Amino acid sequence: MAGTKILCVAEKPAIAKAVAQHLSGGRVQTRNINGNQYVKNYVFDFNFGGRWGDCSVTMTSVIGHLTDMKFPSQYNYWTSCPPAELFEAPVRVAVDEDKTAIAENIKSQAQNSRALFIWTDCDREGEYIGTEVRNQAKEVNRNIVVKRAVFNNTERAHILNAARTLGELDELQANAVAARIELDLRIGAAFTRLLTLQLQPLHESLEGKTLSYGSCQFPTLGFVVDRYLRVKRFKPEKFWGIKVMHTRDDIKVNFLWSRVHLFDRVAVIMMLERCLMAKKAKVTKVNQKPTSKWRPLPLTTVDLQMMGSKYLRMNGADIMKVAESLYTRGFISYPRTETDQFDKGIDLKKLVEKQLPDQNWGQYAQGLLDGNFRTPRAGRHNDRAHPPIHPVCWVSPDKLNAQEKKVYEFVVRRFLACCSDDAKGQSTDVEIQYGDEVFHARGLIVLERNYLDVYVYDKWESTQQLPSYRVGEEFEPTEANIFDGKTTAPNYLTEPELIGLMDANGIGTDATMTEHIEKIKTRFYIGVHSRGSGRNAVKELIPTRLGIALILGYDDVFAGLPDSPSLSKPFLRKQTELEMREVCAGTRTRQHLVQESLDTYRELFIHTQRRMGLMKAAFERYIVEAADV
Amino acid sequence: MPNLQDQLTAQLLQTKSLPVSPIWLNNFLSTISAAQRNTPIPALTQTALFRLLNSDFRESLTSRSTTILPVEISDTNVQERRLTGTIPVQVLDIEDIGTSAWSQIEAIERVERGEAVRGREIVRTVNVGDDDQDERPAANANASNGPHRVILQDAKGTRIIGIEMKKITGLAIGKMAIGAKLLLRGVIVARGIILLTPESVTVLGGKVEAMDQAWRAGRKERLRQKITET
Repeated sequence: MAGTKILCVAEKPAIAKAVAQHLSGGRVQTRNINGNQYVKNYVFDFNFGGRWGDCSVTMTSVIGHLTDMKFPSQYNYWTSCPPAELFEAPVRVAVDEDKTAIAENIKSQAQNSRALFIWTDCDREGEYIGTEVRNQAKEVNRNIVVKRAVFNNTERAHILNAARTLGELDELQANAVAARIELDLRIGAAFTRLLTLQLQPLHESLEGKTLSYGSCQFPTLGFVVDRYLRVKRFKPEKFWGIKVMHTRDDIKVNFLWSRVHLFDRVAVIMMLERCLMAKKAKVTKVNQKPTSKWRPLPLTTVDLQMMGSKYLRMNGADIMKVAESLYTRGFISYPRTETDQFDKGIDLKKLVEKQLPDQNWGQYAQGLLDGNFRTPRAGRHNDRAHPPIHPVCWVSPDKLNAQEKKVYEFVVRRFLACCSDDAKGQSTDVEIQYGDEVFHARGLIVLERNYLDVYVYDKWESTQQLPSYRVGEEFEPTEANIFDGKTTAPNYLTEPELIGLMDANGIGTDATMTEHIEKIKTRFYIGVHSRGSGRNAVKELIPTRLGIALILGYDDVFAGLPDSPSLSKPFLRKQTELEMREVCAGTRTRQHLVQESLDTYRELFIHTQRRMGLMKAAFERYIVEAADV
Repeated sequence: MPNLQDQLTAQLLQTKSLPVSPIWLNNFLSTISAAQRNTPIPALTQTALFRLLNSDFRESLTSRSTTILPVEISDTNVQERRLTGTIPVQVLDIEDIGTSAWSQIEAIERVERGEAVRGREIVRTVNVGDDDQDERPAANANASNGPHRVILQDAKGTRIIGIEMKKITGLAIGKMAIGAKLLLRGVIVARGIILLTPESVTVLGGKVEAMDQAWRAGRKERLRQKITET
């Protein structure tokens, strides 16, 4: 083998394999490493161009994070120190015990390499993992040159291009992650130890359970509990309304009241009487206009999780796992993105063309190429790192399992829908004045389905056609009646709704939201219950007694304090997230963020300790006595 | 030259249609300083008007037959009648009948917790730190949508229910205090309910502090009460 020796390190073995395949063109030797059966070294030759030229490459990977931040061992026992000390205790970063073999492999490869190219995923975590790898390499080879490959899918041409246009690691993003890791460790450990030590002895059902606290977990649980309480405490109320029906040309036209309904029966009766006194209704507006239903925006991670769990009957975590594997195998682009606008440079028609072989939507794709193609709408988000999620190439369905098929199909249909025209229709709005009241009827005719033909998840149907009305004409309605009804409780929270709430309130990133949801499930803070059956079944998130006691207990602990601090509401976490973005932008230092956040949480910790009695009372009430909420 | 009292009485009647009671006016004049007495009539009228809007009309207005509600006003047998003249009234109660009592209670409790909702986002409304001192409290920003049902009272103490038939600016919970004053001009009364429209109602504003406080303190409980009744 000739040329400069280069070490490449990816975030996962599958990416290392895929990249190695592309760069080597298939001429690659696979070598096992000592002590880890998943990580392999791929050895091949490649010309990186420019200053590097022909190189002899070893491509390997880590498996996620390489190191772990820990307290020194004297703090290991939960009773070894008062939990509050963990806010200041020293911490050290060291290679995670079960990752030592991987770290050793990197060191031994780095020793005689000229350069290290980082191929971790291009997001915050990826930048941080990149620095972890760099630190290992520098330990044995201080002069090793470090570069970063910038890529967002594992399609061949894209990878080759990334290999020849290397950039630098983003230290700022890595710093933001380092700050978050320290905060999570200190705050999580302090609160978790405090809660577990104090509350676990209160009831036998808590034996052996860790009552963990996490700054994302808790607001996530807070949303679930909040909705649960709203459902449980809900009181139905009666309402009344007026409905008007008019038969013309044998068509029964139902006019809807512009007030919808009111919560005062006497007022509604009086209003109806005044309609009847007027005898005739007068047509005040007839609006016929073309209308359209907009094609969807390009796909983001949050949207994939929300729409996916709504239409594919899979939970967000599973969807992400499947999307991850579709990405690693090179079928779709990187599935963690906030971007909902396609870059002008991307050749969308070429991507559409790749879908031509498909049995189900190939013909539709052909239609797009034959003139139906439209430039996708652009949303307002761009994370400047990744394009919207889109299919990279076509996959024969027999290569995918059932879940993969569903997710891949969704990504493709969504992409083709983005590149299609809006659905077009004609709507007619008729407004009438009857007594003092206003009513309206609406008719819709769908003329061109366009994107709806491929995006089977959206529904837009023609309604009954309206007879013709003229502005200014008067008629006597056939019927005018009072109807009544009752308000109904909101439904329990579903996962797509929860993801929507987390997104709107800045809890977690698109990459970690589903992890937080999974976490509160495994902690037995919430459970998943099915409502309805068969295809219409909806999975609802219901807090356990433990989850309820924790949230209500904390609310009690902080009740009445100035500035209403809260661990169950999203404000604090949102603040941290904003500050992390400032660290990424370079307008705030890592130390500043860590110190300020720790000060805030330390104060809350002291309050919690002082008012632990209220927390215990909540546990007594909701767990021991199983009281109603 | 007419005396000060007559001048003020005439001014308030002509410009605001408010028939002020001589006793109240005497009282008012006795509370202001000699220096203020010598200010021009329009300025003094403004001061009197301000006090008047924050007074209880039962004490501050005379009850002439043309400026009060007919006694049998609430008779539900009368399908429709129109009241002539201009009648000053004060608001004793205001309710949003377009929104369920329960969701109003939820909104009140959110404000109590220092939160507001903006779409799906929960927003914190309490002031943290000094930099956002000028943020307005949420209660004003979230005025009720209506339509509203109000209880009105004239100078003689007669009460009547009013329904906001068309949106009236300034008439909303959060915007209008209890004891606020309205002028009714040629309103229609149907089945004992006054139909309030922008054409027939002038909002003068003001409040009666004690009434407003009591109303606020009891609002959540009244909403709860309303729910158990239906």
